[in-house]
Amino acid sequence: MERKDQIIHIFAKDLRRILTQVETNFDEVQEIRLRIGAPLLLICRNREYYVTDKGTLKSVPGEAHIVGRDELKETMECISNHSLYAFEEELRQGFITIQGGHRIGVAGKTVVEDGQIRTMKYIACINVRLSHEILGCADPVMPYVCDNGTVRHTLIVSPPRCGKTTLLRDMIRQLSGGNRGCRGVTVGVVDERSELGACYQGIPQNDLGARTDILDCCPKAKGMMMLIRTMSPEVIAVDEIGSREDLEAVEYVMNCGCKLVATVHGSSVDDIRQKPVLQNMVRQRMFERYIILRGQAGRIDQIFDSRGCQLYGPERMAYGA
Amino acid sequence: MVLKLTGSLLVTCSCGALGLWKAGQWREHLTMMEQLKKMIILLKGEILYAHAPLQEAFGHVGRKSEGILGQLFAGVEERIEQRRGDPFYVIWREEIEGRKKDLLLTDRERGELTAFGEHLGYLDLEMQEHTVALYLEQLEMSIQFYREHEREQTRLYTSLGIMGGLFLSLMMC
Repeated sequence: MERKDQIIHIFAKDLRRILTQVETNFDEVQEIRLRIGAPLLLICRNREYYVTDKGTLKSVPGEAHIVGRDELKETMECISNHSLYAFEEELRQGFITIQGGHRIGVAGKTVVEDGQIRTMKYIACINVRLSHEILGCADPVMPYVCDNGTVRHTLIVSPPRCGKTTLLRDMIRQLSGGNRGCRGVTVGVVDERSELGACYQGIPQNDLGARTDILDCCPKAKGMMMLIRTMSPEVIAVDEIGSREDLEAVEYVMNCGCKLVATVHGSSVDDIRQKPVLQNMVRQRMFERYIILRGQAGRIDQIFDSRGCQLYGPERMAYGA
Repeated sequence: MVLKLTGSLLVTCSCGALGLWKAGQWREHLTMMEQLKKMIILLKGEILYAHAPLQEAFGHVGRKSEGILGQLFAGVEERIEQRRGDPFYVIWREEIEGRKKDLLLTDRERGELTAFGEHLGYLDLEMQEHTVALYLEQLEMSIQFYREHEREQTRLYTSLGIMGGLFLSLMMC
């Protein structure tokens, strides 16, 4: 199935008709946003376009198609493949990952019980974030991550939409498959949100290499422990660490002799040092490499080592400076 | 005389066979209801314990089962996979209607089966549990009825067939 077909099939019939007529390369589409009573938006090459009823892209909202309540409801049914109950856990977190690794963010009214989000109802906003597998985007960082045949504990730091998941995915593929500087190693991936492997019925849709074991839809902290006990990985990869529980598991992984490759939201190492749970790890120099991203996937801004010396980047300076 | 006797014998046998066929249909109906119940229990397991989406759940159960009901479930899986944008209820109803002739169900039973799909997939797991439980209860009541009347109905149809055949033969002679 072509990428455009794969994406269009998650929308309601009327929206399908409109999006089918859109003449743009869907490999370049980043997001499609639906809000009840608001124009249908498409974000392509970092630019926002309004989509008209005839499928043309406009920069002004005048003739834009206005998304109806039924269209959004029908779209939710298509996204969940008529099985909203199967995505209860994901809905609690506000997103659903579908076949192909695309992430559907949802917003509506949350139902809270005992202080915990039980589910979400009256879903009124949907953000379809299209996954982009860019093979080779980790090429510039691999010599730093895999130094003299040794994999380094690495933390990718990036604001949202700068491609940290895309970079991590390609790093896993290269570590697992091996490249010129490093032999292939067994990689254990805890894919809590199904974004890295985009597993469909347990089979990864993205290429994560031949030596990769994936724990799909598993909480990160529990998954890391499980992988160490059962799959004896040499490297563990996780996306978006941040909670205290995650960091305890990260410490456990590092003390087990496994190498860790992870991502975190942030804009710089200094930013990470402000985070209460991460600052200790930075201070204790647990990570050997910090990769800072800016802009689009594959655009590496800076790479630091554990002492804060800049190894790569436009200006050579320590992160604490 | 020989011709008359042969004719009478044939009429009696045919009517008896008709009675036996009707009694067999009753048993077949009961077997189908019991198979449907088993399949719904399997479906419940797939939904509640494996959290499988409807496509996967119907596919697994359909492949494990034989006959028209297995085909019905596999057909539903296929229709969902086509992703034409139809709501699940429409898919379910159309698949049942398409196999109406082969499904040995009364109008009421077919209506209940169709209604079962109306709320399937809607809301959370708890809702699925209640929907399945309600339908299982309806199925159990039907099965109970067929079981209770099985012996009596089988005898009735068989004897009616033979007696009818004898009566016709006497009338013809």
